[in-house]
Amino acid sequence: MFTLYKTYCPIAGPFDPCKPILEKTYSTPPNLYIGFQPPNLPQFTPLEALRAGTLWKPFYDPYYNPFEKAKGGIPR
Amino acid sequence: MKQIPPEYYQMMEQLQAVDFVLVELTLYLDTHPDDLEAIKQFNHYAKERKTLKKAFESQFGPLQQFGNSYSAHPWNWNEPPWPWQV
Repeated sequence: MFTLYKTYCPIAGPFDPCKPILEKTYSTPPNLYIGFQPPNLPQFTPLEALRAGTLWKPFYDPYYNPFEKAKGGIPR
Repeated sequence: MKQIPPEYYQMMEQLQAVDFVLVELTLYLDTHPDDLEAIKQFNHYAKERKTLKKAFESQFGPLQQFGNSYSAHPWNWNEPPWPWQV
């Protein structure tokens, strides 16, 4: 399944003072996978766009850290 | 104490939303200068912005200075609310 959230596994040293996080997650922006913007993408209304931070729906990219569930925001 | 009416915030939000659409379309049109639909949309919102600006300024005074906005009598540029008071 395609997701904007990617993971990697860092090395866990034996002397780490804290319990290591074995798998770390990071977020990538959607424009990475779109390339040159095609015309006529679906748009937000102006008031939604102001809050989404973009006029075009495919570029909307809210961030939630991997330990919380997605909450609030504008539906995609 | 003077109160700022709720319409102030409604109209200001409308204005900000339209401004944001214009910014987005400007950036888009910089790379897509042949997109007629987008240009139509841009002009539509440019016109809407003028209407909103006029309506806002007629109620709450000038938004910009140096001839970009009209003034009432007496001179009302220095009247509150200042930007950091809203």
